[in-house]
Amino acid sequence: MASLIVGVGPPPSSYAGLTTALAVLMLVIEFGMLQATLLRAQIRLYAAQSVVISALAIVVAFARDVPELYGLAAFSVLLKVVAVPLVMFRLLRRTNQEIAGSRALGVASMVLLAVVVAAFGFFASARFQLGSPVLPAAALAVAVAIILVSFVLMIVRRDVASQAIGFFALENGVSLASLVVAARLPLILEVAFLFDLLVAVVVFGVLIRVHHEQSESLSTEALTELRG
Amino acid sequence: MLELACHAVVPAMTLDIPVVQALQVLTVLVAAPGINGVIARVETRLQGRRGSRVLQPYYDIAKLFGKEALAPCGTGWVFLAAPLVAMTCYLTVPLLIPVLTTFPLPFGYMGDILGGGFILALASFVIAVAAASTGSPYAQLGASRAKTFGAITEPVVLFVVFSVALVTGTDLPYALAKTVRASADQIVRPAHLLAAGALFMVILFETGRIPVETHTGTNEFGMIEEARSFEHSGPYLALLRWGSTMKQLILFVILINVFIAPWGLASDASLLAVALAILALVGKCALLGVGIAVIDDSFAKLRLFKITEFVSAAFMLAVLSVFTLYFGGG
Repeated sequence: MASLIVGVGPPPSSYAGLTTALAVLMLVIEFGMLQATLLRAQIRLYAAQSVVISALAIVVAFARDVPELYGLAAFSVLLKVVAVPLVMFRLLRRTNQEIAGSRALGVASMVLLAVVVAAFGFFASARFQLGSPVLPAAALAVAVAIILVSFVLMIVRRDVASQAIGFFALENGVSLASLVVAARLPLILEVAFLFDLLVAVVVFGVLIRVHHEQSESLSTEALTELRG
Repeated sequence: MLELACHAVVPAMTLDIPVVQALQVLTVLVAAPGINGVIARVETRLQGRRGSRVLQPYYDIAKLFGKEALAPCGTGWVFLAAPLVAMTCYLTVPLLIPVLTTFPLPFGYMGDILGGGFILALASFVIAVAAASTGSPYAQLGASRAKTFGAITEPVVLFVVFSVALVTGTDLPYALAKTVRASADQIVRPAHLLAAGALFMVILFETGRIPVETHTGTNEFGMIEEARSFEHSGPYLALLRWGSTMKQLILFVILINVFIAPWGLASDASLLAVALAILALVGKCALLGVGIAVIDDSFAKLRLFKITEFVSAAFMLAVLSVFTLYFGGG
């Protein structure tokens, strides 16, 4: 009952509301990835999520006067919105497989499972009591939820493309968390993270191609048998 | 002398409060088929067809009122009473929601959002009972589908109401509209955006736009609401058609005047303010209708059992809305 009354508070400031709404939008896009049926749609959803986190970085940079974040946003747009989707599209151009049937669960049960997992993330991070001068603590809760839902995505989708995208989306969640707890992290460190991501993309891309050449499909079902 | 003249030129044209209250109902009653006509018109234009007149729904209803009424053998009074009861329900709900005014009218606090929901559910229930009493397979199919899928959307509506209750401390529609108007902070609040999004998806579903229904077609795979009135005819069918457009407009009004755009309402009972409020309401609803027509035309209809996927997305938004409120920052 006490927590119910806590809920009825004054609205957060416009800045807090807007940034949390952007963070929640990232989480909603993450849920969209759970049920995407086309490879292209999956990659586009990832690009959209990256656009949102770049926009969030710009909003923070503008409102909290952290000019480094403009640079980070620019790098993030170049890499995550342009380069990664392009690399993925190029690598997967010759695979005519679609990923529609790769779900281990029905869409509704998958969404319910992810909602439960996201709730756990919210609950867990509400206990951290972490304050941040640049972003509201709710954004951290959303970041934890995004990371956990990415794990769900990688577990319930049985195709290598969705699993790779799930990994990249996880990195988006980590970027969001780092915006909350360490927005003033030196730019060079953040850029190093981004190039790490690029390496991961190339490695994953090569793995996807090798897997596709060997098993003629994107499904991971073929990986259950040992080969001597 | 001059003062007197001034008073004569600017008479205080203030409407009685009961008149405003009646105007709320009357606006919904009169404008409802027109909004449907706008949506149908925009939809057909988007499909590259010429389409019917915007006023066509009024002509249809007038035509149906002039026809004789037939009832299938073996149906009782329930069959004939259902359209009247449903219409009464749809005429009651506009008393409870802010249709024209920012200030609560005498009946405005008679029921909250749940109360309005119950009255809408009663209307849907009596229509389903009437359809079931006919023994016609199509009407019964529509009735049972409507009830089954209504049960699926119910949790979404409940979570939207929860988040409204958490935001305002009450679940009166007037209170939420007032809270939203109070500050810009309230609008970008994620809980509010998510709840409004979830409600919008429920409304798309409830008014038979997506994901499966063709709301004017007679293709039985996608029929839910439309199939229920198969056995009614003449004035009874006219009342059912009119009622279904009224239900649509009522849901639009709840979405617009309570959630997304509670502006342009009359803040006092003067004639000018109320007249402007009526125009603003019709304009806003027509705009929303255009948006819905675009959405309706740009998505393919899904198979019937994909409804759970669509509703689960709405459910996710509604639950996230309550989460963000509970864990701060919402």
